[in-house]
Amino acid sequence: MKIGIPRALGYYNYYPFWFGFFGSLGIEIVLSDKTTKKLVSDGSALVVSETCLPVKIYMGHVLNLLEKKGVDIIYSPSIQSIDHKIYNCSKLRGLPDLVRNVVKKDFLLIEPTLDKSEKNQGLYQYLYESVAPLGITDKKAIKKASKVGWAYQNNFTGMTRDGMHPIEAMETAIKGKVIIKSRKNNYPINIAVLAHGYNLYDNHVSMNIFKKLENLGVKAHVSESLSTEQMNEGLKVLNTNLYWANELEISGAAGSFMTNKNIDGILTLTAFGCGPDSLMVERITRYAKRLQKPLLNLTVDEHTGEAGFITRIEAFTDMLYRKKRANIVQNLNKQIKIDSDRQEVVYSRDTIVKV
Amino acid sequence: MKISFPHMGNLAIGVSGALRVLSAEVVEPPYTSKRTLSLGAKYSPEAICLPYKLVLGNYIEAIEAGAEAVLMIDSPGTCRLGQYSNIARTALTDLGYNNVEFVNFDLYKGKLLEIYSGFKHVTGNGNPLDLIYAVRVGILRIKTADKFDKLLQYYRAREVEIGSADKRYNKAMSLLDRALTVKECNEALELGTESISGVEIDSKKQVLHVDITGEIYVVLDKFSNMGIEKELGSLGVQVHRQINLSDWIDRSLYPSILRFSESHDEKTRRFAREFIKRDIGGDAVESIGDAAIAASSEITDGIVHLLPFTCMPEIIAQNILPNVRKEKDVPVLSLVMDEYTGRAGFVTRLEAFVDLIKRRKTTKHLLQV
Repeated sequence: MKIGIPRALGYYNYYPFWFGFFGSLGIEIVLSDKTTKKLVSDGSALVVSETCLPVKIYMGHVLNLLEKKGVDIIYSPSIQSIDHKIYNCSKLRGLPDLVRNVVKKDFLLIEPTLDKSEKNQGLYQYLYESVAPLGITDKKAIKKASKVGWAYQNNFTGMTRDGMHPIEAMETAIKGKVIIKSRKNNYPINIAVLAHGYNLYDNHVSMNIFKKLENLGVKAHVSESLSTEQMNEGLKVLNTNLYWANELEISGAAGSFMTNKNIDGILTLTAFGCGPDSLMVERITRYAKRLQKPLLNLTVDEHTGEAGFITRIEAFTDMLYRKKRANIVQNLNKQIKIDSDRQEVVYSRDTIVKV
Repeated sequence: MKISFPHMGNLAIGVSGALRVLSAEVVEPPYTSKRTLSLGAKYSPEAICLPYKLVLGNYIEAIEAGAEAVLMIDSPGTCRLGQYSNIARTALTDLGYNNVEFVNFDLYKGKLLEIYSGFKHVTGNGNPLDLIYAVRVGILRIKTADKFDKLLQYYRAREVEIGSADKRYNKAMSLLDRALTVKECNEALELGTESISGVEIDSKKQVLHVDITGEIYVVLDKFSNMGIEKELGSLGVQVHRQINLSDWIDRSLYPSILRFSESHDEKTRRFAREFIKRDIGGDAVESIGDAAIAASSEITDGIVHLLPFTCMPEIIAQNILPNVRKEKDVPVLSLVMDEYTGRAGFVTRLEAFVDLIKRRKTTKHLLQV
């Protein structure tokens, strides 16, 4: 039995779990190809133009599975809420409904619903709905499979917390391995890159942002390396409560990074027309001003050009370098003044100001 | 304490009525205008929906007009609406309005209790009987205004002298504005109905029937939908609108045990099931259900779907509506509203749509004969 999972949206957060869960039940997973320009435009053709980029891409992946991969079962879950009254964005809540209405092909759509605000729509019901259409209704086997799923997911989370790039961590976790490396590279500039996983780790959307930052000598920090407690603390910094299901990875992480002295600047990457992000970024912008943290907000859609994207990142990094240098010089000047008051100049400026 | 609140359709009539019954000082913000919009847009995030920009503009203008407290609503699990008060408070604080009090109706905590404590706080009157009476008058005023709206929709499409129905409607509304007891409200309803019904009409005129649905704020607010009802009325179209505040109040304030018949809300859900299986927040399910209900009715000639730009639930509805159109064989026009919508382009689209449904009706009629 083969089911198709689009390499988009939830894939970037939950794939290790799905891999373990379905694998344990003897179901083979077929993934769609990586995002390409054609895939995006195929997906965009299905939905109205106001729809946000990630959803357009999702539709492209569904088409790719049906047309290229020869799958006729699509797994498209609806994550309504992850906690009591903590809802997801409408577009993610209605994702299977959208697929059913716009993809006019003959296929079986598996559309489980996870809704923690309702009494009978918890995780096990969700998992039951995930496999019941395939004829698996043994609740014990499902429970056992979910444990296997969690083992993979926890390995994945462990590695990302340690600082491994999530895509690399995902590949390692799927092989059933856990690798904890020591990372002692020193970078002159540290930037927190905040975005939803499906924007950040889809190289077509984020235009290889990690590589670009690496080339500029910048260490990128992501929300996956933070613990839930740290992100909850971050929400308090921004003086807000959890409202969206995926708010921790943006607002929570922003709050946590903003109070971290080692982080020189914050970069947010949002898809054009994203509802939750418009509010989160607004709050982050206002608090970044209050806490005096440099912030760059990048918005992407299917027409974003790479040149403009790079220029902005370069300008931002240049600014951070300059700020850091100025800070060091200022501190040195202070130091020299104190020292000259004591009439003993200890060091010359030129040898130390090297960033 | 001078109290103010944002506009949304006939909401102001009800809220200011209830507050005035309690003899509180009310500062009604000037009705939403271009200035409100540009003020709101200036201090809002770029990609947020139009209603927030207008609500924020209302708050700013109200505070400029001397309001000392503003009413806000927190409502759970809908869409960005639930965050309006939170984000508006940050924006207003950053603007330097520090001594304004924000009175929150937190619907997370329970509806009736929150309304009670909120009103008690702003008016200083803690007598529950007074408050219940005030809320009752407020609701009655909204319901009366909605009844006038409905009459206006009928008479505007058929009036002989253009503008005469609107004139009488305005008179009826100013009558209602003075009504502060249940008795006065009922009198205003009677007099207003009589007055609007007196409009000279062309009873033989072939009118078209268009159903308006979509996101509740832009459907109700005359400024943000560019007076679509008036525009359609002048083209000889009778507008039907199932979304109104009376219905919203019935749905959200009264406990469901006290309802006996199927409410409009439940009916929309039943009709929408065919197209959308789960609730996705906002008014998406209602929009689809409304369209499906209207499409099943014999008299409906077309459906106009209104939504603010970047509205999350309505984008899903907009994606699904073509299927309703195909399955039920009814024309649907989706119109996206934002601060850059130009009037000329908007009217042209409406005219083209009306032309289309007119021709469709004639062809259908000829085929039947």
